[in-house]
Order: sequence, then C-alpha cells, then structure tokens
Amino acid sequence: MPQVPGERAEFIDGLRAFLPMSMSILPFGLVCGAAASNAGLTTGQSLAMSWVIFAGSAQIASTQLFAGGAPLLVILATATIINLRFLMYGASLSQHFGGLSRRWQAAIAYLLTDQAFALTVVRRSARPEQPHLHWFYLGLAGATWVCWQLATIAGILLGSLVPPSWSLDFIVPLTFIAMLVPLLATRALVFAAATGGSAAVLLALPLQLNLIAAALLGVAAGMAAEKLGGGR
Amino acid sequence: MIIGIGVITFVLRFAPLALLARLELAGWLQQGLRYVPAAVMAAIIAPPLFFAVGAPNIVPDPPRMAAATLAALIAWRTRSTLLTVVLGMLALWALQALLG
Repeated sequence: MPQVPGERAEFIDGLRAFLPMSMSILPFGLVCGAAASNAGLTTGQSLAMSWVIFAGSAQIASTQLFAGGAPLLVILATATIINLRFLMYGASLSQHFGGLSRRWQAAIAYLLTDQAFALTVVRRSARPEQPHLHWFYLGLAGATWVCWQLATIAGILLGSLVPPSWSLDFIVPLTFIAMLVPLLATRALVFAAATGGSAAVLLALPLQLNLIAAALLGVAAGMAAEKLGGGR
Repeated sequence: MIIGIGVITFVLRFAPLALLARLELAGWLQQGLRYVPAAVMAAIIAPPLFFAVGAPNIVPDPPRMAAATLAALIAWRTRSTLLTVVLGMLALWALQALLG
C-alpha cells in the first residue's frame, strides 16, 4: 500500500473506478474458466492460463483452437494477432509511464487490459496535472486481476456442472458483442468489423487459420475505408 | 502452449512501454493497430452464430442469430455488458423454446 496521502487517494480512486467494470469482467472470466476446463485442460492448466496469460480474448480463442486440435504454431500466431492491440495501448501509456522504474513498467505491462487502458486514459484527460497516475492504474488494474482470477476459478469449478442444452457457450459471443459495439465509432471501424466477421464465417482454411486471416482482412478493410474517407 | 502465449503477451505489453520513450511507431502501423480490436472481436463473434460447435459446415442457427442481433441493439442503447449478456441469454432461451 502507498504511504504518501496523494498516492493513497489515487490508489483508492483506482479501486473505485474498477467497481462498475466488475460487471463485465466477472461473466467474461466465468466463461473463460468454463471454456478452459471443458476444452480438456486440467484444472492446473486452466488456472495457469489466467495468471500466466491474463488476457481474456486470447485465452478464449486459444482454448477453442486447442479443443479443435489446431497446431501449436497456429495457436501462438492467433494469440499474437489478438494481443497486438497491447502494442497500441502500451505506446499510448508510455507517454505517462515512460519515466517510471523498470519494475513499475513490468507491473503495469503485466496488468494491462482493455478496461485498465481505457479508464486510465479517461482519468488522465480529466486530471492532466495529477502526478500519481500510476497509483490510480495499480488500484484499478490490480483489482481487475484479483476479480479475473476469482471469476476464472469459479468458471473452472462450475463449468462442467452445467449441461450443454442450456447453451451457456452463447455467453462468449454475447460478452464480445457488449465489448465490440461501443468500439464502432467510425464507419471505417464498422467496415473492419463487418469484414472480419464475414471472413471468419466464409473462409474455410486448413489448420484453423480462419481467425488470423479474418483479423488481417478486417484490419486491411478498415485502413482502406479510412483512406476513402470513412474515418469519421 | 500456455507459457508461449504468456511470454508473447507480456512482450507485446511491455516492449512499447519500456522502449517507446525513445522509439516512435510507424504511422501506418499505428493506423492499422486501431482496427485490430474491432476486426478480431467480430471474427470471434460470428462463427458460433452459424456453426454448431464442432460442425464443419455452415448451418445457420436462427435463434442464435436473432438473439445476437437483439443483444447488439441492447449493447448499442445501454452500453451495459450485464444487460447485454442477461437479456441476450433470455432471448436465446425464449427463441429456442418458440422455434424448437
């Protein structure tokens, strides 16, 4: 815990900012844990995914590929593509955290999530002069980590108890819909999503390369649409 | 597999944070990265709406497609993950009961 009063206040504000987010992290973590144990990973492996990888979309996609018998290289390549967005987040956060110690940077990097990034950027624009932004981030991202671990453990334990006829696997696309729709702020982004989605359905590639190909086509479509004036 | 993904994920998160104080990402790369989340999420959402789990052929599943469309509308209007998931699930069960 931080000792300086300003740091402590920031840390607690970070915890507060986390509370409404737990509503999206809990169901997603439950689904991730259940998917891992249903894909045939052992309890230990399923747990390790959550603390070694700590990235929901990559965890879901790689468990599905693993269950489908995809080769290791395809699984790794798919996870890389999915997590490429962290390059963008890290590049943006380096403006605020570039001067911190390596230990701080390693902790910030390990805890980086879509939600922590988005809320930290919002916080910075609301309080540009606040010097303890990294403590806000630690409160927010640390709480996210704890919540994620508990949710995936619950998912691992409960996942095998629920019969398939309940169609609970449908929660996966639903959580992604809830994350995707607010992102679609420009026509180019809508076009990127539409292309990625259609390509994932229509392409029938060997070795489960669909997701990689669809993601790359979607990105290309978005960039092309932006060139043609759809960037707003 | 798990350790491999973990290492890749950490490098992607850490490298820009540690190095970009000195280095600048190329413009086209920054532009392209903006579209990665939307393209990836859509590519993950779409297939389970058309395929039964494990089936290789395209078999449209009307209750799932309708429930997903409704969920997208709910997400757009409310911006709430909880409402989207709960109402989307209820819609799927209702449609499955109605359409068999």
